[in-house]
Amino acid sequence: MNVVTRGVRNAFRNQIRTFSIIVILGLSIGLSLAMLVAHQAVGQKITDIKGSVGNTVSISPAGVRGFEGGGNPLTDAQLAKVKTLAHVTSVSESLEDRLTTSNSNLQSAINAGSLGQRFAQNSGVSFGGGGQGGGTTQTFTPPVTLVGTTTPTDLSATGPGGGTFRLKSGAIFSSTSTDNVALLGSSLASKNNLKVGSTFTAYGTSIKVVGIFDAGNTFSNDQVIMPLATVQMLSGQAGDITSATVNVDSITNVDSITSAAEKVLGSAADVTNAAATAQQTVAPLQNIQTISLYSLIGAVIAGAVIILLTMIMIVRERRREIGVLKAIGASNAKVMFQFMTEAVTLTVLGAVIGIALGVAAGNPITKLLVNNSSSTTTAPGSFGGGVVRAAGAARRSFGGGFRNSLSSIHASVGWSIILYGFAAAIIIAVVGSAIASFFIAKVRPAEVMRAE
Amino acid sequence: MLKVQGLKKIFQAGDLKVAAVNGVSFTVPEGQFASIVGRSGSGKSTLLSLLGALDKPTEGSIEIDGNDISRMRDHELIKYRCQKIGFVFQGYNLVPNLTALENVLLPMEFAKVPKKQRLERAKQLLDQVGLSDDKQQRKPGRLSGGEQQRVAIARALANKPKLILADEPTGNLDSQTGKMIFDLLHGLAKSENTTIVTVTHDLEIAGKTDKTFRLKDGEFKDK
Repeated sequence: MNVVTRGVRNAFRNQIRTFSIIVILGLSIGLSLAMLVAHQAVGQKITDIKGSVGNTVSISPAGVRGFEGGGNPLTDAQLAKVKTLAHVTSVSESLEDRLTTSNSNLQSAINAGSLGQRFAQNSGVSFGGGGQGGGTTQTFTPPVTLVGTTTPTDLSATGPGGGTFRLKSGAIFSSTSTDNVALLGSSLASKNNLKVGSTFTAYGTSIKVVGIFDAGNTFSNDQVIMPLATVQMLSGQAGDITSATVNVDSITNVDSITSAAEKVLGSAADVTNAAATAQQTVAPLQNIQTISLYSLIGAVIAGAVIILLTMIMIVRERRREIGVLKAIGASNAKVMFQFMTEAVTLTVLGAVIGIALGVAAGNPITKLLVNNSSSTTTAPGSFGGGVVRAAGAARRSFGGGFRNSLSSIHASVGWSIILYGFAAAIIIAVVGSAIASFFIAKVRPAEVMRAE
Repeated sequence: MLKVQGLKKIFQAGDLKVAAVNGVSFTVPEGQFASIVGRSGSGKSTLLSLLGALDKPTEGSIEIDGNDISRMRDHELIKYRCQKIGFVFQGYNLVPNLTALENVLLPMEFAKVPKKQRLERAKQLLDQVGLSDDKQQRKPGRLSGGEQQRVAIARALANKPKLILADEPTGNLDSQTGKMIFDLLHGLAKSENTTIVTVTHDLEIAGKTDKTFRLKDGEFKDK
């Protein structure tokens, strides 16, 4: 029998104690792994969010938001300069206009209601058929929002309604199209009895409906989306742009691109970004990452302390036996190695239980941490409700997307995690038995004689 | 041959110095059986520790087979203890979770004796001390005191040592078993040509040895 076999056998000398130690170690290693899994999953999510949310810069004509405020539109030429900036991956441009009974045969599907009446009254402008002659009337009808755009499916860049674009029927026109074609919101199409292939009139021109979409909200479903170039030409606003969204390669470059765009456009534009909002989005995740890291460190330390105390107890108990082994010719190294093997045996068995626990509990613990965090950090109105109104289109994606981004975290345990588990077990065993080994080295074989 | 000259071991506790062994000199020729008798606290066990290279003397020399072990370094002592010295303790001191056979194999494993050879030697020794095959596979807890001491004697002889040191080997046994163990130790030592030094309270046993040393307050009173 060699020293390794003796060490392994010694681990089972006291079966009740061995069982208890293995279970406690298993819990410690299981918690370590669950925290490691949570840490990695949340870290990946943060990277994903940083790569997809908040890496945009919004540009509007100075003093203008949608149909509010005042000022002069931007031009294609101005935005061409922005497109050449380093780290800019693409620029979505749009020109918003309103279709009323004076320039279109479309009728809005939205009932004005008291809010619409008040907005119209406050703005001092009336639209619709019943109110001609100036001033607001009780028969006020909201206009239909028309967006000319280079990115027809990006509703965050095509108007104030936002939402998620879902094509119900037909097809989507290309970003560079100059055809007299349109995508209609489902409510608007229904209100005007229009289908794919039907036509309507705008600016005295027949426009063909090529697709019907659903945005998931009433405002956007009352919208018309057309190619930017077509709207610029038909509305007599050649080269004009009322809003643009600049996509940046990484969230870390958003601030520098914002500054560069401000420099290029000067006082002609308001340039804003949603980096701060994105940072708010990932902040709870970063908290979870920190908590999981500290818990991971704590659990590893707890495991090391458990095995350390166990080995010290075992060494104290077997002091005489150590003395005998040394008296009959065992070296310090040999005795230490035997006890280290015993510690490794206990921790590897603990690791097997721990890995099973980690695999089973990794995902639920991650979800629990995320849910607790999201329920305490996403008070109503925190995101999207007005905090980042100036951020333009980007803000609209945060309100609903935040909770989704958290709840979509999925933690999985791969081979690397299992290998980490075993590596942690070995480290715990070596660290835990290091001090015990020091006590072993201090045991003098002469003590066997004195204890007789 | 065992040759001890001017051996001293002084323990210090604060300002207090205690000479557990104080200038002891003696010689035991090869193959002889010597006993050391004395009251508790007379320094018997300390002397045995020094002879067994378990502790280092404050002064003096111990020559075993011509080698002065008092000048050896720690790693040399480990090797020397393993190959040249065997121990028999009053409380047997067998490793509790190893079988009798495995206990006898242990010192040979430390001495790097080939596996097959050590298994043969261990079985031969256990047969010689009268432990049946069945009992050879038992752990110490399932053996009587006398049987455990037989295993301890077999373990002490495993590496064919030049010197066996026995600390009250019959102290925990009844008189009849004690006598049997003494005779066994004596007989095996003769057959293996090993020098034995035993510490004992039992004057009857001491009277049967080739030499007897009386220790009092760390010094030999007569020989």
